[in-house]
Amino acid sequence: MTARMKALASFALAATLALTDCQAIKQGAADIIASTGKVSREDAQSLVKTAEVVRSTFAEITEEEEYYIGRATAALILSKYKPYRNEALNGYINVMGTALAYNSDRPETYGGYHFLVLDTDEVNAMAAPGGFVFVTMGLVKRCGDEETLAAILAHEIGHVAERHGLQSIKKSRFIDAFKVIGSEASRQFNSEELAKVTGIFEGVLGDVVETLVERGYDRKFEYEADKLALSFAVRTGYSPGGLAEFLVGMEEHKPSGTAAGWFKTHPSPADRLARVKTETAALGAAPAKLDVRTARFAEAVENLR
Amino acid sequence: MKKHARLMFLIAAVLVVFVFLLAETVVVKIRTTNIRRDPKFTSPAVATIKAGDALEKLEARDGWVKVKTKAGVVGWLHSTAVETKKFDLLALDKTMKTQASAGEIALAAKGFNKQVEDKYRAGNAAADFAAVDAMEKVKPTAAEVEAFLKQGKLGEFGGAR
Repeated sequence: MTARMKALASFALAATLALTDCQAIKQGAADIIASTGKVSREDAQSLVKTAEVVRSTFAEITEEEEYYIGRATAALILSKYKPYRNEALNGYINVMGTALAYNSDRPETYGGYHFLVLDTDEVNAMAAPGGFVFVTMGLVKRCGDEETLAAILAHEIGHVAERHGLQSIKKSRFIDAFKVIGSEASRQFNSEELAKVTGIFEGVLGDVVETLVERGYDRKFEYEADKLALSFAVRTGYSPGGLAEFLVGMEEHKPSGTAAGWFKTHPSPADRLARVKTETAALGAAPAKLDVRTARFAEAVENLR
Repeated sequence: MKKHARLMFLIAAVLVVFVFLLAETVVVKIRTTNIRRDPKFTSPAVATIKAGDALEKLEARDGWVKVKTKAGVVGWLHSTAVETKKFDLLALDKTMKTQASAGEIALAAKGFNKQVEDKYRAGNAAADFAAVDAMEKVKPTAAEVEAFLKQGKLGEFGGAR
């Protein structure tokens, strides 16, 4: 079989296999190629394999894979910060967060959305891929009402919906991964492959955690998440004013020294506020803030120490 | 050259057949979720489905897909829970132009599964997976979310435009 023919057949097969994961169909495709008589059965099988690699470069990361990256990222965040043990408060933010996720652009993720308050006075919020959303106790204390907390949760849901966390993964990881698992369709690795893939997994986690905790997202992702936060909050029935209110508060409490935590990982509140105000105005008529929500928020945060 | 043309023809034929066979099938891509009676999350569940389940697509509306299970149950799923087994040339073109790294991400993530997590956990005792497991256990029901919306006069209960 000539190299040109191999390349052509491989490309055509890639297109065909993009349609299906069915093993029988793959075998059928290999049989068809072998039946032409020009190609040995081994050659035909290897063509199908090559085509699968081409196919995988067209596909996006699967929900399940994102979930495992998210779980491990969350586990690393939880090695740095402990959960705040307050069942009522965690229940409250989970039901609020789920309501916002229902009204987001991506309500369904592999393992679903989960929200947790972290026991620290630092002011921060983070979302690990797949829907593990964290807000610190210090941040909850800064919120004056339910609209504000909803805006923050909606902003984090925005990061998850747009898969911002995954976009911090360095390109070199993909090249390394290609060397190990490029043509391997099996879900079970042998011990040597497993060690290599786990090494790459650790690298991926390093990239994601560094971005979430230390470096912060590219500012264009933060602006995008703000815009989505307004949209998701309003769709849920919240006043869009919560986000602006929060940013005003953060600007007022801006530390004078070196930026740390939230201030280090986010663009300046004043910068975001200007954009948020413009986008809020563009929304037109929107729901108003209601006392019934502010009252239940006050109740939920009553016992924060 | 004749053989070559015949091969190309066969592959093209296979391609066309698959497009027609799979055009109206969707596959569940999340671990588990409910099929609902109406296209909204607070609507009663009529069936529970899991990753990999193939469903017949009957209709699409406002981000929701009306599906039929193999058992014949009909209901609605949010479109983010499923992928359509249809080769969409337009979407492919868009992906290549705007998300150059999406394919590379797919490649890297291929194989990040439970086996890899277990191996990682064995070498990273500090990573607190037990706390993540506990976090995952908290999952409000649709009824709880509905009660929350109602009490807060949110969504269909008063707040939305």
